[in-house]
Amino acid sequence: MSRYIVRRLAFAALLVIVVSSASMILARLAPGDYVDLSLPPEASAEAKAQARARLGLDRSIGAQYLEWLGAAIRLDFGRSFLYDRPVRELIPGRAANTAVLALTALAVATLVGLPLGVVSGSRRGPLSGTIRFISLVLLSMPPLLTSLFLVFVAARTGWFPIGGIGESVLDRLHHLVVPAMAIGLPLAAVLERLQAQAMGEVIGAPFVLAALARGVTRSRVVWHSALKPSLRHVAAVYGLIVGSLLSGSFVVEVITAWPGLGSLMLDALRARDIYLVTGCAGTGALFLACGTLFSDLALGVVDPRASERVQEAA
Amino acid sequence: MLTAAAACRSGQSSASKTAALTNIVVRSGGSLIASIRTEPGSFNRYVHRDAGADLVSILTHAKLVRINKATQLVEPWLADSWSASEDGRAFTLKLHPGVTFSDGQPLTADDVVFSFQAVYALGPEGPLGDALQVEGRRLEVAAVDASTVSIVFPVTYAPGVRILDNLPIYPKHRLEAALRAGKIHDAWGLSTPPSELAGLGPFVLADYVPGQRLVFDRNPRYFRKAADGTALPYLDRMTVEITPDPNTELLRLEAGQIDAMTIEVAPESYAAVKRAADAGKVKLADLGVGYNADTLWFNLKPGAFAGDPRAAWLQRDELRKAISLAVDRKIFADTVFLGAAEPVYGPETPANKQWYWGRPTAHDPAAARQLLASIGLTDRNGDGMLEDAGGRPARFTLLTQKGRPNLERSVAVIRDELKKIGVTVDVVTLEGLALIERFARTRQYEAVYFTVSKTDTDPAVNLDFWASYGGAHIWNFAQKTPATEWERRIDELIVRQIAAPDPAERKRLYDQIQEIFADHLPMVYFAAPRIFVASSVRMINVTPALLRPQLLWAPEAVAVVH
Repeated sequence: MSRYIVRRLAFAALLVIVVSSASMILARLAPGDYVDLSLPPEASAEAKAQARARLGLDRSIGAQYLEWLGAAIRLDFGRSFLYDRPVRELIPGRAANTAVLALTALAVATLVGLPLGVVSGSRRGPLSGTIRFISLVLLSMPPLLTSLFLVFVAARTGWFPIGGIGESVLDRLHHLVVPAMAIGLPLAAVLERLQAQAMGEVIGAPFVLAALARGVTRSRVVWHSALKPSLRHVAAVYGLIVGSLLSGSFVVEVITAWPGLGSLMLDALRARDIYLVTGCAGTGALFLACGTLFSDLALGVVDPRASERVQEAA
Repeated sequence: MLTAAAACRSGQSSASKTAALTNIVVRSGGSLIASIRTEPGSFNRYVHRDAGADLVSILTHAKLVRINKATQLVEPWLADSWSASEDGRAFTLKLHPGVTFSDGQPLTADDVVFSFQAVYALGPEGPLGDALQVEGRRLEVAAVDASTVSIVFPVTYAPGVRILDNLPIYPKHRLEAALRAGKIHDAWGLSTPPSELAGLGPFVLADYVPGQRLVFDRNPRYFRKAADGTALPYLDRMTVEITPDPNTELLRLEAGQIDAMTIEVAPESYAAVKRAADAGKVKLADLGVGYNADTLWFNLKPGAFAGDPRAAWLQRDELRKAISLAVDRKIFADTVFLGAAEPVYGPETPANKQWYWGRPTAHDPAAARQLLASIGLTDRNGDGMLEDAGGRPARFTLLTQKGRPNLERSVAVIRDELKKIGVTVDVVTLEGLALIERFARTRQYEAVYFTVSKTDTDPAVNLDFWASYGGAHIWNFAQKTPATEWERRIDELIVRQIAAPDPAERKRLYDQIQEIFADHLPMVYFAAPRIFVASSVRMINVTPALLRPQLLWAPEAVAVVH
């Protein structure tokens, strides 16, 4: 098992290098650069050349990439043009904010989506119909609309602050509600749908029918016997969800002014801050790789067959 | 010798008047939360020009003179008074006595000299270097004594000390080492601890959290006092929160979570803000038509369309005049700005009362078709669309910026209006930087619709726009010799306009320049939006101005209801 984990971590490292390198090259190839943004359009060619030389943007992509790669091995990921700080200093704080938001949203999604999925997948009637309807509404709303709607509700009611992150722990929790719900509710709908489908399949399985025939109560069968095997589907995608959440949700972070990795990446892209783009993309890739690993390990816990495959791979 | 009196109208006094009219007592203390969309690129205004850096500069630094953004008059600021030589080239300025930086060091004439040196040392890369030059030459600045500064312009410059509004005065004792080491560009970047910054402004930076907020505390050593002797600023603290999304920003204002935005209300948000204002949740002010209008221009660089059969008509004056005639400015204002705009015909809008010259163009599609026919564009196959002599369609590509609703709506109107006279416009929206690269670097474009803002209402300060050699002469910038006779004529007139000591003569010359511009129409203007600003109901003593930051240009006077 440990060999498997080491191999997956090596894969994660490779993924980070490939994604970072691709991001850097693409950011350099995109039209315009940081100098175009920071100097007015009418700035003289001499002024722009001077600025490019100072920032190292006058070198070829290859030369710049090799220099960055050499420095990155020493954990120096360059200096952000936009924030005038080492990328290494900027990323951890933002990644931590994104992680807090992602894990809270995941907790909301899991605690809401999975039980509702079990309920709607294991029975028929108005309750499961209502759950399915709400899920479909949430699924069909793009994150932009969900965020705007929640921000609007928060503004109208005054229950929650809109935008920012707060300072004290309590204040932060208060600020977390709107962005966490904006991400968590649509995700809860995804999990509900997956879990309902899985539960629907498992509930018809022979071992469940046998348990029912033996006189075990339906709710006990559902929550004790059928739940674990039905989690396989959710566990399979859970890691991907974790990974993509940790990479930062651009839309929600921008609309709710949550200072996470997504909004940092967006600022960096807009400003053609190539080192910061590279750092954000690399961190996102790292999160995604870790999320996938987590997913595989979780799948092993709920599905022994998957665990065997992991052992074989190791 | 001309001498300016120290008792000019000040932002404070007019603000106090406003407060008196509304029967609200202005008291010191309290805090205010403002918001900006993006954070500053630097704390050093000498190296960075953006809305954030500008706001930081307004809050934490002071200038020798200040242009009152509400009246456009020059006010004494760090300089109490000044006198000019007979030829209008040399000025002697007396500094306000007893002024100290926020770290307690006294302001002296050496700080002024140093500030000029630092800006000039940055060369063309510094955003202030051009603004502090006249006809491409630097000002000579010297310290006569500790409280007297001598400034000599390279030529007679009619706006005189107005130019000094561009320069925040920085402390020599803090930055001299960086200047000597050739590292002034790296000084006071965003990673600089706030304790290392020092300024003469009403506030000091207390905290900066990237991506979240900047916190400014009252500068207890600020040199200005209110008319009643109260120490300024009134506020104890100003927090500037970074809110990238405009919708969220407005909702936060309505919810009372912020007090002020640093820009105007967008036309599409006006209705919502008006409802909130009617409900007493926010204050909304209509400041009238703005100073700037977006504009359409063609690439007029000679040879830009070499080999293209459309070269025969793409750069002709008649095409641009036809466009001006073909677009119904009423429809334009209604569609783009939802009616909250006024038609404009040149680079000056009616807001610039001192310098505006207007020659309205009536909406006349028939006249537009005639003009196009005069350059060989007629409907040759009866399909209602125009073709050139070779049967090729009258068609061009218009670039604009993606993601800016005003611009996107504008080009849609232009496209539809030109279709009515038989001209096909292919609209291409580009991301901001890609667009700038197209027209400012590669210069590979046919036409652009974009924002070209003036930096001041005085035309002399916008020399780089008018002069053919200027970097903001956007249709064909940085020309070695004027490409056309009319540009040569404008070059001559603008130089005379800058040097003319008589304001009436300056106005006459500028009218001539605007008339030549209207005759050849290198840039076509359609409508200038009205400017609306919104603030929380507790924010008082504000004198809103048309230019950004409309509510915070005089932060020392701003107060809140306790």
